Amino acid sequence: MSNEHTIRNVVIVGGGTAGWMAAAALSRYLDNGSTQVTLIESEEIGTIGVGEATIPPLISFNSMLGINENDFVTATKATFKLGIEFVNWGGIGERYFHPFGGYAQDLQGVHFHQLYLRQRKRRRMQDISAWSMCAVAAANGRYARPGQGARPPLTGLRYAFHFDAGLYAAFLRQYAEASGAHRIEGKIVDVKLDSENGNVQSVTLADGQTIDGDLFVDCSGFRGLLIEQALGTGYEDWTHWLPCDRAVAVSSSYSGGPDPFTRSTAYASGWQWRIPLQHRMGNGLVYSSAHISDEDARELLLANLEGEPLAEPRHLSFQTGRRKLAWNRNVISLGLSGGFVEPLESTSIHLIQTGISRLLALFPDRRFNPIERDEYNRQVQASYEDVRDFIILHYNATKRDDSEFWNYCRTMSVPDSLTAKIALWRAKGRVFRDELELFATPSWVAVMLGQGIVPEEYEPIVDALDEEKVASALEQIRLGILQTSERLPTHGEFIAQILGQSRTEPELPEFVF
Amino acid sequence: MRGDRIRKVLIVGGGTAGWMTAAAMAKIMGEIPDLQIELIESDEIGTVGVGEATIPQILLFNNLLDIDEHDFVRATNATYKLGIEFVDWTRLGHRYVHPFGLYGLDMMGIEFHHHWLKGRSLGEPTPLDEYSLAIVAGLQGRFAHPRLDQRNSPLSKIAYAFQFDASLYARYLRGLSEAAGVVRTEGRIVDVVQNGESGFVEAVVLQGGGRIEADLFIDCSGFRGLLIEQTLKSGFEDWSKWLPCDRALAVPCELGGDHLPLTRSTARPAGWQWRIPLQHRIGNGYVYSSSHISDDEAAATLLANLDGLPLADPRPLRFKAGHRRKPWVKNVVSLGLAAGFLEPLESTSIHLVQSGIARLMTLFPTQNFDEFEIERFNAQTLQEYIDIRDFLVLHYKATERDDSPFWDYCRTIDPPEGVAYKIDMFRRNGRVFREHEELFTETSWLSVLVGQGIEAGGYHPAADLLPDSETLKRLAHVREVITQTAQVMPMQDEFLRQHGSKSEVALRRAS
Repeated sequence: MSNEHTIRNVVIVGGGTAGWMAAAALSRYLDNGSTQVTLIESEEIGTIGVGEATIPPLISFNSMLGINENDFVTATKATFKLGIEFVNWGGIGERYFHPFGGYAQDLQGVHFHQLYLRQRKRRRMQDISAWSMCAVAAANGRYARPGQGARPPLTGLRYAFHFDAGLYAAFLRQYAEASGAHRIEGKIVDVKLDSENGNVQSVTLADGQTIDGDLFVDCSGFRGLLIEQALGTGYEDWTHWLPCDRAVAVSSSYSGGPDPFTRSTAYASGWQWRIPLQHRMGNGLVYSSAHISDEDARELLLANLEGEPLAEPRHLSFQTGRRKLAWNRNVISLGLSGGFVEPLESTSIHLIQTGISRLLALFPDRRFNPIERDEYNRQVQASYEDVRDFIILHYNATKRDDSEFWNYCRTMSVPDSLTAKIALWRAKGRVFRDELELFATPSWVAVMLGQGIVPEEYEPIVDALDEEKVASALEQIRLGILQTSERLPTHGEFIAQILGQSRTEPELPEFVF
Repeated sequence: MRGDRIRKVLIVGGGTAGWMTAAAMAKIMGEIPDLQIELIESDEIGTVGVGEATIPQILLFNNLLDIDEHDFVRATNATYKLGIEFVDWTRLGHRYVHPFGLYGLDMMGIEFHHHWLKGRSLGEPTPLDEYSLAIVAGLQGRFAHPRLDQRNSPLSKIAYAFQFDASLYARYLRGLSEAAGVVRTEGRIVDVVQNGESGFVEAVVLQGGGRIEADLFIDCSGFRGLLIEQTLKSGFEDWSKWLPCDRALAVPCELGGDHLPLTRSTARPAGWQWRIPLQHRIGNGYVYSSSHISDDEAAATLLANLDGLPLADPRPLRFKAGHRRKPWVKNVVSLGLAAGFLEPLESTSIHLVQSGIARLMTLFPTQNFDEFEIERFNAQTLQEYIDIRDFLVLHYKATERDDSPFWDYCRTIDPPEGVAYKIDMFRRNGRVFREHEELFTETSWLSVLVGQGIEAGGYHPAADLLPDSETLKRLAHVREVITQTAQVMPMQDEFLRQHGSKSEVALRRAS
């Protein structure tokens, strides 16, 4: 298949989570005998690696690479995650759960949440999370991987992971190098552009070594060494919608079994994440520097740890927004060099992953067809905007009026796309998922209801279903979920089981003829 | 039909055979409402219980009883067993292993060993043993369960059995039996009452005057055959011509030496010595021919060849190789030593009990005691004894040893027809066939034929479908995969410890 146009050298710049995810996937899928994948990283430059919480599509990324999930859990000290608990977001003292799996099941083509909304108008109903397998199991600290033969409601137990991003990068590095990726240690001091077409031609390292490439993947982090510093692509700023621009992160000790969920707690000028791993708790406060000082943010974070801090808190600055072109000339930006949306819905790693899948789907040759590049950029832009809108919803749909920060968020104007979504929901609880949209209907339902937007009516079509029958069906489903969750092992037990297994179940050599 | 049913079964004797029978029968027949199973044993009478090594078929028996393996291993101080190592059998200084499970990988539709034979003809010198994962891993002290789901892994080709304390096993089975409703009676039988007309056994009389009646009697009374021989005069077919060993001395010793998942059999000037490592001790015994060595000399030889201090005085046992002419007569079925004896060279004693039970369950009688069915039971039992006998004789016959009158006798004897035929078939073109449903498979015959130095003159022509270079490449690959697989298997001691066995002593001493 390869010809004179085939990309011979892919150079990945930067070896954090994004770099090694890209190296692993590209080395696996470009194994055509003529494309070499090279990754340049410098041990002098730290990585961010705070994106420790993920969402379910990461499972497909791992399985696309043929990674055994138990090995991965062992290697990255991962725990399982069934969703996110939001505390103090809709109002102080309120909490809700955004589960990964859907709610119960749709009946006769009618969305479950519509049935729920009608019942709720008639009688006192439990919170909608009682119909989420994920939420109920999470509340009870339980988890087991649903097997292939799993039946409802257990099939609703969609999951993702919390893991140590540094260990994940190391794990993928091993994989990538075994698949033929080549790692070069070095600090890039210069970037040479092709004087004719403006493409990046090579990068020069501090030791004078020059690395040529046909295609460059910029995983250099916020600064965007190639995409911005060399190509001047431009950045679209979203700070007016998402004013948080700093974070301070620290890990802490904890005792007791790990919770199978991430917690996000809103404070006066930002919010704090809580991510349980096997061996420590990841914590961080995301805040708006216009509303709280770095020093106060640090104090606030440390005052709200459950255990002892394990290191000095690390400060990070960022600007929410996206690179105007994710793919410019022969440079593709992945990870923080492509844009930044705060990790409120654990989307950082996911945006890297979709960037990689799209790159594979639209992988260029040396002619760099602009139509393919435009399509890539269109899709990436849509992803960033979807995530952005979903995050904005959390800030905007709130009753909180206890600080300047919340007053700003509650009253700001939001993107038109989001305004329309909220309006559709407010009227009759309708949610429509667009083509490539990441978050499915149940996610919007969870956050809209959780943040206190209750639809005025439900869809008329619901009245075609008998109310009493629906009521008893809902009750049965709720009990089924509750009983199923009681039969699950605790999350800690399940992890212990995996760790035990992966010790006694090494890869078996095979006869291959 | 219903009126003819057997209502009462009496098992006479509570050794390994007795309690295996009780447990299996209670499990299979226990649901029948008015069937009563009773076992009588006397604490005064010792049991033999030396049959501490088993073959993989034991798993079927344990599964039938729903026995949890780890529980069983803990309760009987068991270790795992991947085969038997034969030392000094072919000639002094020689050793080979008879592994459970297959060698290498069948290719081109023919058995692996033909490719190995072809390799030999091309000058590839690697012994057959190195193509067996059971052997390679076993000699390193490693064990893992077979992985039948991993078809391309050599772990799918191994099988395993156990070595255990037979008296603890009997106790374990007694627990299961009693829980399933078997009644145990302590007592010594002093008389047997037969029906005056039919000669059927009607009852046994106990010392002190008690009397137990039953419809069906299972004779597990050991060598003497209290019912089958002393009462019903079944007769004994003597095979000592082919298997001249007629005595054994058994002694346990402290742990010492290696701790491999293998039984070891070492040939001695007038017989052979077993070594069976358990979790807490090693079982040892010298099986010998009394016409070739005195009891005292045998005891001295045994005690001089232990890996640890003896834990008791050697116990003498006397026997005669052969079998009861009719293991089932009238309403008495004999099992275990009451039915026959074959030396434990291939660990078949417990298996013979087990297969006897299986046959009895299949042909479980009614009050009519159909002669046809009884004949079938007896014919099948006889065939099984013959098959095992032939396999044992092969070990003695195919040897180069000429260092003692005993070995001269064994080497030069006319073997039974079946043995001569198998040796001949292999000598020609390396062919090994398993006849009817004989217990030992092609692999077993192959390992002993090759191990005992029988040379094949050729190999299956289909092996030449592979170019020579490809054959050699594949042989190397098979060896390599087996070596690598052994590396990922845990040490047996580690494996036992992980599953809660109290093998700390073993761990300390074996290293």
